[in-house]
Amino acid sequence: MIARVLPVPRRLDLVVLSSALALAILGILFVSSTTSGGRFDGLATRQAIWVLVGLGGLVAAVLFDYRVLLKFSFVIYCLSLVPLVYLLFFGERIANVKSWIRIGSFQFQPAELAKIATALLLAYLFENEDDAKMKGATFLKVGLIVGVPFLLVFLQPDAGLAATFLPLAAMALFFGGLPGRAWIGIVVAVALAAGIGWFVLADYQKQRIGTFLNPESDVLGSGYQVRQSKIAVGSGGLTGKGFRSGTQSQLRFLPVQHTDFIFAVIAEEWGFLGVSVVLALFAVLLLRALSLARVARDRGGVFLILGVASMLFFSVVVNASMMIGLLPTTGIPLPLISYGGSSVATSFLGIGLILAVEYRRFANA
Amino acid sequence: MLKVRENRRDLSSRIEIARVAVGAVFALLAFAYWYVQIVRGDYYFELSENNRIRSVKLNAPRGYVLDRNGAVLVENEPAYSLQLYRRESKNVNASVDFAVRLLGLQIDPIRARLERGRRFPEFVPIPIAENLTLEEVAAIEARAPEHPEFAITVSQRRLYKRGGSAAHILGYLAEATPDQIRASGSAHTLGDWIGQKGIESSYEKLLGGVNGERRVIVDSHAREIAEESRSESRPGQNLFLTVDRDLQHLAEELFADKVGSAVALDPKTGEILALVSSPSYDPNWFTRRVTAEEWTSLLSDPDHPLQNRAIQNTYSPGSVFKIFLAYGALARGWVDPDAQVFCPGHATFYGRTFRCHRSGGHGWVNLRNAIKLSCDVYFYNLGRRLGVDRIAEIARAFGFGEPTGLDLAHEKPGLVPSEEWARTKRGARWYPSETISVSIGQGPLLMTPLQIGRAVSALVTGGKLPTPHLFLASQDPKTGVRLRYQAQPRQSLAIDPKNLAIVKSGMWAVVNEPGGTAFGSRLPGVELGGKTGTVQVARRDAVPRAGVDRSRLEDHAWFTAFAPIDDPKIVVVVFVEHGGHGGTAAAPIARRLLAKYFGVEVPPRPGEPGFVRASTKPETAAPPAAETPE
Repeated sequence: MIARVLPVPRRLDLVVLSSALALAILGILFVSSTTSGGRFDGLATRQAIWVLVGLGGLVAAVLFDYRVLLKFSFVIYCLSLVPLVYLLFFGERIANVKSWIRIGSFQFQPAELAKIATALLLAYLFENEDDAKMKGATFLKVGLIVGVPFLLVFLQPDAGLAATFLPLAAMALFFGGLPGRAWIGIVVAVALAAGIGWFVLADYQKQRIGTFLNPESDVLGSGYQVRQSKIAVGSGGLTGKGFRSGTQSQLRFLPVQHTDFIFAVIAEEWGFLGVSVVLALFAVLLLRALSLARVARDRGGVFLILGVASMLFFSVVVNASMMIGLLPTTGIPLPLISYGGSSVATSFLGIGLILAVEYRRFANA
Repeated sequence: MLKVRENRRDLSSRIEIARVAVGAVFALLAFAYWYVQIVRGDYYFELSENNRIRSVKLNAPRGYVLDRNGAVLVENEPAYSLQLYRRESKNVNASVDFAVRLLGLQIDPIRARLERGRRFPEFVPIPIAENLTLEEVAAIEARAPEHPEFAITVSQRRLYKRGGSAAHILGYLAEATPDQIRASGSAHTLGDWIGQKGIESSYEKLLGGVNGERRVIVDSHAREIAEESRSESRPGQNLFLTVDRDLQHLAEELFADKVGSAVALDPKTGEILALVSSPSYDPNWFTRRVTAEEWTSLLSDPDHPLQNRAIQNTYSPGSVFKIFLAYGALARGWVDPDAQVFCPGHATFYGRTFRCHRSGGHGWVNLRNAIKLSCDVYFYNLGRRLGVDRIAEIARAFGFGEPTGLDLAHEKPGLVPSEEWARTKRGARWYPSETISVSIGQGPLLMTPLQIGRAVSALVTGGKLPTPHLFLASQDPKTGVRLRYQAQPRQSLAIDPKNLAIVKSGMWAVVNEPGGTAFGSRLPGVELGGKTGTVQVARRDAVPRAGVDRSRLEDHAWFTAFAPIDDPKIVVVVFVEHGGHGGTAAAPIARRLLAKYFGVEVPPRPGEPGFVRASTKPETAAPPAAETPE
């Protein structure tokens, strides 16, 4: 298969690849800044290994024909849901939720892979659904495709992780041509659901939302994280306190700083300049991905890029807003940077799919 | 149904919209971070500094207090207290139960402390118990592995080595009150123990030293990571007092079952050798945190143990005042020492009869014998001739009516009446008959025992009024540099040595000549002079009528002495509340003190076992009870 398409011009998009790599390297750097010497010593090395694993996945995704993946996307999708169902019944609770599969010292969040599978299946759906106005059946299919894994993860119960499926639905509906009236209906429905949801949310989830609305109310409780994170970010100033010199992070005033709050560490140690660099890299990556989507050869490719990009965009914006208290603390990591094998590896896999679409733009096979 | 296929341009335009939206969202994020980091950066930087820096006070060791010979009166000892770190505790209630059971504590006060502690972050330890014994410390340490939430802290506690001894001199420590903190500028902070009363308070600056400070970098668990800066504490100075510990202890023993006061001082320098106020209290109570009951019992005690009677209680001086009147009149040339007055046992002035304490009368007495016999009639006549304002002039020259300047706070000035005082302060004019009372030390005239000691010092040194003081020297514990107290005596009424000799002779006769009012208290080997005083508390005829405790209506007894006659080294003042006659209640105490000071044997007094009648037949010192006080 590879041999057959070789004569056709191949285009590897260096802008997307290099910005993703730069972000991953920053991630390794700051994981080492926050973890070296402590009980998390050695995590930076593990993160580097995960980046390499992710790069392997990226290369495989680029070389493998994404059209084949789309063809088998339903099977992939179903397979990816199996571990989520398994977790629901046999999962081990880690940090109050059953979202991890543990094999030896190795942990993996199957929901991360399920996101990629969901993106693939959505792309496959819109490969063929090309009506100017979205059909009701398509709308239902989108709801089903995203809703099943969303619900499975929501029941773990990990609302934060579940929320990362929502951008896929939003992407599908927006680019799939959902009419304006339907959007209004969705907004109303979501508002109603939120009202009802308030009664079914776990207490700690309600508390986090309450804290979000009034972070000063309980300085040492759940508001503590937001407050310490804001202090870390704000005290960084323009140029920061220097690499490994952040007092908030090095003295561990920041919670889970090598995972969810790593952006606050960057903000503290490298200041606004560091923040600007990271935000710029993400912006470049995402804007470039959207450009590639526009010129993709087929509808499946367009939607595949859009799916991956929407997930990245959502995680980056939510995580960065969380640091300065613009959104409640939800446990969504910063893609490519936060420590975490599943997150890094699947992010690279997603980047690989973006590159794959561009790679085969002029291929005819 | 017609299927309208989507135009690729529609999709492209949506992607364009998405690009703009993504760009806008990132711009907004950058703006938000700019606001937090650049606009509010200084504010958050300060918060992060407050987060990581903790100031730890380094308490300066307080200086010791020693007597004039270097015997330690007050020192510091380690005090152990138990702290609970809630963060390390799995179950705070279980931890508290453990401590309560182990140490046999009351649960309620600890609950209250825990409740108060809720306001502080979890890493702030909560004090559970103070002043643990070494056995208790060992018991807790032995269980440390199962109870990592407990920690023992060591601090320095003040130790007053002999409990209530010299309590009124030394004072005590207590936690600084908000007012004291405000008054100290920034020298003290909440929780500081500072001197309250006594020399602990007077020389707080010297004894307290200067606290140091460590600024440490801590992590989010308040664990110390590193020390950022350190300013060492400067230890307090050691303070040498003028007090002689042995003399002080003896005086306290002699007052064990009495209420009153005694002062011994060096008449030339004003150095206080002993100062007793009885009853006393144990300053260690305050350091170990007084309980409410102890406070109540201290405050409600009718004898007011907290009161320093030597400087805070004012009394009528009684006949002790006669020596000052005699001296003053001689110094000013207002009296002829050889002129004799006939004492028939009473005298009438302004239509009122004033009795002498010896109803049979003293016959013809000159000034010297008037002192020796404490003849009231002689001094009635002298006082009447001088008038109250001249008496007041003499009294003021001896420092009455003003604080002596002793280095203890809250000293009372006493009262020297005059015509002007009667007019302006009292609001009722001065009656000439009052002058008669004042001339034998009764009436509105009021003074403290220390004032009398200071005045006697001036008298026996020919008019040099010293400033009594307790500070002998201070010593820097590091450098060993000593500071000495400097005080020049104030020149008061100068007197012709010949006339001074007459007064001294009268005072010598009080103790050493038969008929003297304290003849029983002479001390072989020591040339001492003295003067008794007995102050009537209630009118004689009131005693049987009043239903109150008879001991509360007894006369107050005064005795003041100095020795040796020619070159006085020590002045002693003894005052016994409701002690009875000065010669019998107060003089024996003074005698024992002088014997101790000069290192001589104390022969038994008349009436005491082992008393041998001397060849010169002594007359009984105590006058008959039916007579008015001297």
